[in-house]
Amino acid sequence: MFAEAAKLIREHCEELSELDSIGGDGDHGITMVRAMEILRCGVNPAGSADLCETLKQAGWAVMGADGGASSALLGTFIAGMGDAELGSELDCQSLAASFQAGLRALSNRSRARPGDKTMMDALVPAIEALGAAASSGKPVEFALREAAAAAAAGAESTRTLVARHGRAKYLGEKTIGHPDAGAASMALVFRGFAAALDQD
Amino acid sequence: MPMKKFINDPQHLVPELLEGFALAFPGKIRLLGTSTIVRATPKPAGKVRLVTLGGSGHEPGLSGFVGLGMLDSSIAGEIFAAPGAPKCIDALRHACRGGESALLIVLNHAGDVLAANITMEAAARELLNVKMVLTEEDISGPVGDRRGLVGCVAVYKVAGAAAEQGASLEGCFEVAQRMNRNMRTLAVAVRTATHPATGHPIFNLGEDEMEIGMGQHGEAGTGRMLLKTADQTAEIMLEKLLSDLGAVPGDELLVMLNGAGATTLMELYIVFRKVAQVLQARNIRLVRSAIGEFITTQEQAGFQMTIARLDAELIRLWDAPADTPFFTQL
Repeated sequence: MFAEAAKLIREHCEELSELDSIGGDGDHGITMVRAMEILRCGVNPAGSADLCETLKQAGWAVMGADGGASSALLGTFIAGMGDAELGSELDCQSLAASFQAGLRALSNRSRARPGDKTMMDALVPAIEALGAAASSGKPVEFALREAAAAAAAGAESTRTLVARHGRAKYLGEKTIGHPDAGAASMALVFRGFAAALDQD
Repeated sequence: MPMKKFINDPQHLVPELLEGFALAFPGKIRLLGTSTIVRATPKPAGKVRLVTLGGSGHEPGLSGFVGLGMLDSSIAGEIFAAPGAPKCIDALRHACRGGESALLIVLNHAGDVLAANITMEAAARELLNVKMVLTEEDISGPVGDRRGLVGCVAVYKVAGAAAEQGASLEGCFEVAQRMNRNMRTLAVAVRTATHPATGHPIFNLGEDEMEIGMGQHGEAGTGRMLLKTADQTAEIMLEKLLSDLGAVPGDELLVMLNGAGATTLMELYIVFRKVAQVLQARNIRLVRSAIGEFITTQEQAGFQMTIARLDAELIRLWDAPADTPFFTQL
């Protein structure tokens, strides 16, 4: 899963940095490549005995990527995913529970909420879509496709929003017209997850 | 225009920079692990340790102020990006080994604060005796959420002196907070810098423009205007700072001018001349000053102006000895 997401982030590195340069300092692509590389090497759900512990360690490793707010938040999210009770088999419901646990950890850490033009605008609808598909008994491939579509729509919706967090908030109205870099990278990550399952 | 910088691999900027920095000051500092600068000779036991964290690319900040009378360790992040919490907690464990206490001084920026909060939670779980101070003196932001700019150096100086003189953790915290409450900073930029890892400019500014309120990383400010003279710029900025601080005749001020990287000392002294004149005209006493490059942003042109109201104790602490790579006084 993470391999496909890491590949997409690598391919769109320049584009993400460019989006970040509108409100930030233009290094979001580089940061995300570093963070996803850590996840690609560190998380292998199929080959892990204790997935929760693996996720916690991977989250801590992502925080260590020195990527400022991006890696601290992504690391918090990944480590938080390990708070869910996960069995050895990762089915659709436990996948959704794990993402929901990650989102809870992230919401405790950050004041950003949907509508603030941050990664939350892609992450929250994606996880809601995942949860909805899981609770109606849909297969995991379907759920991740739904999540990817919701994340993409969420990222696109940030185009018309005003940034309220991080460095971009100092720009205010000037951030209107471009999607948020963090939301755009989350949309790519979910697209990668969906693509990975489709290939299997 | 392609980037013109003397670098090797853009992915290795920080380790190569820190290695060179440590080699340049072997008597004062050394590199601990990959990205923490500590004193060459540790502070005697029983005295509070001062620790800071922040992104790289701002040399000599922040690691340039590790040494006698100021910091004990500085955790360096990637270019313009906060170091991760795992490195920060490692550095705090090192600072606190043997049961010592530490004051963590953090500049208010989203990434720095996130890393610091995660670190402080881990420190609490490990029962380390640590307190955190957030510097937030950039008046271009709203009260309650102001960025930390070069004023952190003044906090390092006075809290570092207090620690050296044997103040308790509580005492060092109080001194740091007092300096923080009494200082104000405003930045101006006239030309952008190149991000050394991406090769792209970090913001755009017209050839004939300047921007007041610019952040440390080129985050946009609020006051974009046509380029003004040194005197006009000094007056505009100083008036805003004095008014925000509520300075009154008889106040004793420290003034710091921090070059952003490409602004010359010539310019800074021309600006400082006007600052001194305005203060004199308003019967505000200019008691201490520090002019130079403390926290830069690559080849950005511009400067930060800091004023701080000093009481007798803060003056005494400011005057105490310091021996660090980039701030030395006997």
